[in-house]
Amino acid sequence: MNPIVETAEQAKQNPEYLKALKELLYQLADDDLLISFRGAEWLGLAPHVEEDVAYSSITQNTMGHAVMYYNLLEELGDGKADDLAHGRKVEERRNGTYLEKRNGEGKYLEDPYYDWALAVVRNFFYETFKKTKLEAIANSSYQPLAYVARKVLMEHPYHLAHWKLWIQQLQSSTEEAKNKIKQRVLEAWEEFGDVLELGTLATDMRKHHLITIGEEELLDRWQKEITEVLLDVPNATLGKRYGSGRNGEHTADLVQALDTLAEVYNSDKSAAW
Amino acid sequence: MYNYVEDGDSKTTAYVEQDQEKYDAFMARIEAGEKIEADDWMPEDYRQALIKLISMHGISEIMGALPEKEWVPKAPTLRRKLGIMAKVQDEMGHGQLLLRVAEDLMKPYGKTRENIMEDLLNGDLKFHNVFHMPTKTWADAGMVGWLVDGAAIISQTNMLDASYGPYQRALQRICQEEVFHAQHGESIIMALAEGNQYQRDILQESLNRWWPALLMFFGPASAETTGSSKQDIMIQYKIRKSTNEELRQAFLSKYMPRVFSLGLTVPDETIRYDQEQEKWIYKQPDWEVFKEIIRNKGPRSKERLRLREIAYENNRWVRTALATEPVSV
Amino acid sequence: MAKESDFYQVYEVFSRRGNKAPMQHQFSLLAPNKEMAMMMAQENFMRREEVIDIWVVKQNDVRKMSSEERQNWTKRLDNKEYRTTKGYGYLRQKWKEKEQGMLDEKEIMSWKEVKRK
Repeated sequence: MNPIVETAEQAKQNPEYLKALKELLYQLADDDLLISFRGAEWLGLAPHVEEDVAYSSITQNTMGHAVMYYNLLEELGDGKADDLAHGRKVEERRNGTYLEKRNGEGKYLEDPYYDWALAVVRNFFYETFKKTKLEAIANSSYQPLAYVARKVLMEHPYHLAHWKLWIQQLQSSTEEAKNKIKQRVLEAWEEFGDVLELGTLATDMRKHHLITIGEEELLDRWQKEITEVLLDVPNATLGKRYGSGRNGEHTADLVQALDTLAEVYNSDKSAAW
Repeated sequence: MYNYVEDGDSKTTAYVEQDQEKYDAFMARIEAGEKIEADDWMPEDYRQALIKLISMHGISEIMGALPEKEWVPKAPTLRRKLGIMAKVQDEMGHGQLLLRVAEDLMKPYGKTRENIMEDLLNGDLKFHNVFHMPTKTWADAGMVGWLVDGAAIISQTNMLDASYGPYQRALQRICQEEVFHAQHGESIIMALAEGNQYQRDILQESLNRWWPALLMFFGPASAETTGSSKQDIMIQYKIRKSTNEELRQAFLSKYMPRVFSLGLTVPDETIRYDQEQEKWIYKQPDWEVFKEIIRNKGPRSKERLRLREIAYENNRWVRTALATEPVSV
Repeated sequence: MAKESDFYQVYEVFSRRGNKAPMQHQFSLLAPNKEMAMMMAQENFMRREEVIDIWVVKQNDVRKMSSEERQNWTKRLDNKEYRTTKGYGYLRQKWKEKEQGMLDEKEIMSWKEVKRK
């Protein structure tokens, strides 16, 4: 029977537990922050106006989820949520590398040759993963986290349905669209691997029942759901071309993301905004 | 937002011989406060004035999302990021509502949203003069939310009783959301005004820069200033109630006391409220600059149009791909 | 290449706020098909309000009144009190004389709770 941990104070009693818990929280928070940052860059640039509005709601929800995890970290004494989101260095970030990837060519302020196929594939892959991971956290030994996971799962089905419909729409339409989706799926297959990892403290996370399944099962469940929707599933094993974001390995794209999202924050750290 | 400000050299509406009896019945209906619907008979100049007004209004919402959007990923806290994202999302949403209204009016001409976008990109359809300005600092995000939106609220609420039913219904929705926008802007401004020296400095600098654009927001007082204005026909057809100058005066009355209460100044030492004339006396902005801006020669006109064009063209394959029904596997 | 306008359709969006509320028309949107229309509807028009159900209907499938029909079919004479409680208001006084209350709308709608034995 797994021991229930009701509060932050209780969690702090066991250093090993606390360390694994924080590690898991940073993964959850940073994943949601980075993908919602990329979503925020898309605002105003989506293929048509109605989609722009719908996508932005998903982005806001997702950033709202990140806020809840950062708040849990704040309760555990790691500093203020805003500082955790804006102020941590690249090597301290725990998001999967695929989630920090730029939206395409150009910048959001200048020549944004963003690729909708990347947006669709990335969000579909991510939301499917998020469901799998959160379902394994909904019964976490850390009660405040289990509670947040169940809350997030309430809002999540719309997100997944949204991106699933886009995948289905595009992979069964014009040759051009099919091809673009296929290329982005192949690319994702080489880069998505670390998203499904739990990092160096995976064993402790399982041992303390912070999460109820391990990496292998996470991968299996995710792959099964993806395979049910994708027309073309690559044969290869899932790769992690850019290393593991779970261990603080990241790309230049994360540097760009952090420089942008913290530009005003960095301009005066003493200010209340 | 956004009242109707017309370019001096735009095409004039061809005079169409009216059916006098229908025209009289139409005027009697709008005089009685009835609302005109998309498939009702309407005078040609009414339809065309509405198409220009509403497509400009709609496209201005969508172009207006761009200057604020620059600060969405950069907003300084998680709460501010979420707030400004929801606000800019609303602007896109307002664009959606208004484009739908314009599309139904254009239907008899066989035109669609595609034509509106193309008219914007080829320069036939103008977007509001205020959205040609740069947003240089975070304070500008607050300034747009507070005073630019404040001006927008003044001009939009003035049309809440518009004689055209679908437009007036869209405006009810829009104005309800503007209440959130107003408070969103005030909240950013308040934090800066009550913040440290650096924050107060960027706030004052922002207001100084935006001041001429805020005065120009409502357009010239009369056609003589810039060569053309459609405000008379708008009032005659009960689309809006007040003149450009009346709206500007209302804006100054509502917002100047608030500006001063925050310890801010405006770059016009002559500005004052004249008790006898019951109006604000202020230094006129340079209307020659205004004329340049509405011809897409403003400080950021080209860049904003380019962003919109890239987004539009770059995503064309997606819209084409939407032609078929999705296949569930 | 086909024009985009050839496959974008207008969909009317309806939603229900709560179990006792009627389906209410919200607005319209452009979408290529009903699945996509459904996926856009909630976040475009009901971001800040309660919603428990949504319908999307292709505008072409709606038989709307024409302009003439709206003008000519929607006006009625004000002589139909017999159809409403207004025509039976005198009963209130009658029942009062017999020391009985009027079974008005408020009273009848309150009968949903019947005392259990």
